[in-house]
Amino acid sequence: MSQRLFADTVLPHLDAAFNYARWLTRNDADAEDVVQDACLRAMRFFSSLRDDDARPWLFTIVRNTWYSRASRRSTAREAALPDGAADEPHDEALDPEERLMQLHTIARVRAALEQLPVDFREVMVLREIEGLSYKEIAAVVRVPIGTVMSRLARARERLATLLKLTAAMETLR
Amino acid sequence: MTCEQAERDLDAYVDRELDAELAAAVRDHLSGCAACHRRVAQRDALGRMVRGAPYYPAPDRLRQRVLDRTARSRSWRRVLTWAAAAMVVVSVGGGLTLLRSSQASRGDIADLVVDGHVRSLMANHLFDVESTDQHTVKPWFLGRLDFAPPVVDLAQRGFPLVGGRLDYLGGEPVAALVYQRQKHTINLFVCPERDSRSPAPVVRTVRGFHVHHWTRGGMSFWAVSDLNDIELTQFVDALRAP
Repeated sequence: MSQRLFADTVLPHLDAAFNYARWLTRNDADAEDVVQDACLRAMRFFSSLRDDDARPWLFTIVRNTWYSRASRRSTAREAALPDGAADEPHDEALDPEERLMQLHTIARVRAALEQLPVDFREVMVLREIEGLSYKEIAAVVRVPIGTVMSRLARARERLATLLKLTAAMETLR
Repeated sequence: MTCEQAERDLDAYVDRELDAELAAAVRDHLSGCAACHRRVAQRDALGRMVRGAPYYPAPDRLRQRVLDRTARSRSWRRVLTWAAAAMVVVSVGGGLTLLRSSQASRGDIADLVVDGHVRSLMANHLFDVESTDQHTVKPWFLGRLDFAPPVVDLAQRGFPLVGGRLDYLGGEPVAALVYQRQKHTINLFVCPERDSRSPAPVVRTVRGFHVHHWTRGGMSFWAVSDLNDIELTQFVDALRAP
């Protein structure tokens, strides 16, 4: 397949690939390295992309790249602290107090997601942020659909606990 | 359905991954069970929070590095692939000619639809008119096109209209309506249906983007997005609903 077609196929999904890698690695520098390596691999394996499903396909390569790097390195970064929350998105339309509340919520959600074990974190990111179907997630993570479902359920339970959402819902009643 | 059965399916229900029959059974149970209803509300609230988490777009320098590597690799392979490339050029040219005579298969157009979608995102040219108001977007097309595209806001259904622009598919002017679903952009291309035989709806995946095509009231519609196909189908259903 021609290289022009590779750029046309893969580059539109670069943001998604980086976002996924960023949530896997939890830092910018590692995410950049992973995605760059993944793109080189993707170029090499481009002819294996037959079913025209470039996005899950690229996620799979990003994930494999990250795994092989992480297992090479003995110092797993799982325990590392997340870096600063300086560049969170915010809504200019809100007044300062509301914006502060929103930033606070975003920071809490981000911290809670980063605390999840990576198996749970990635299914949450792929489902909620990237909007993949169960079937697509199963293909990326290489587990049966039933496992995707149980991981999502457990991830949500943990997140709800971390965010104290249960208590908040009770007070809303 | 008991609470235990319902609980087992609640995640799939919230994610709209249940088949219609099971989803109806869960819905039925929810209407009579406050506890399970609350569990669903909690999952919905959690989903909204997580979708509000930071999205990390690729840094420009990474994009540039990947492009550079692609270009370098291309120059190495140029000698080997020029013949194949020539064949691609020939077939692309043939495709465009076919489209102009309005006999191209919808497969070729789906490719152009994805090109248009990607172009609008990469060139940062999503809108000519940026508005969530269908009564602003619709008249904007007046005089710019020789047809009036139907414009509906689907904010109530979770797909807010965010704007529109003039675009081209295979040299033909089309209306492009832009909708948003969380962080995903949906482009809806609308033009008069040139083939009166009103073909059956088409769903395809091209380069990782889902493409839906249908016709209605003499108009031809193409919806394209990297949104998962379940939610894109909901979007299409909402548009096609009477």
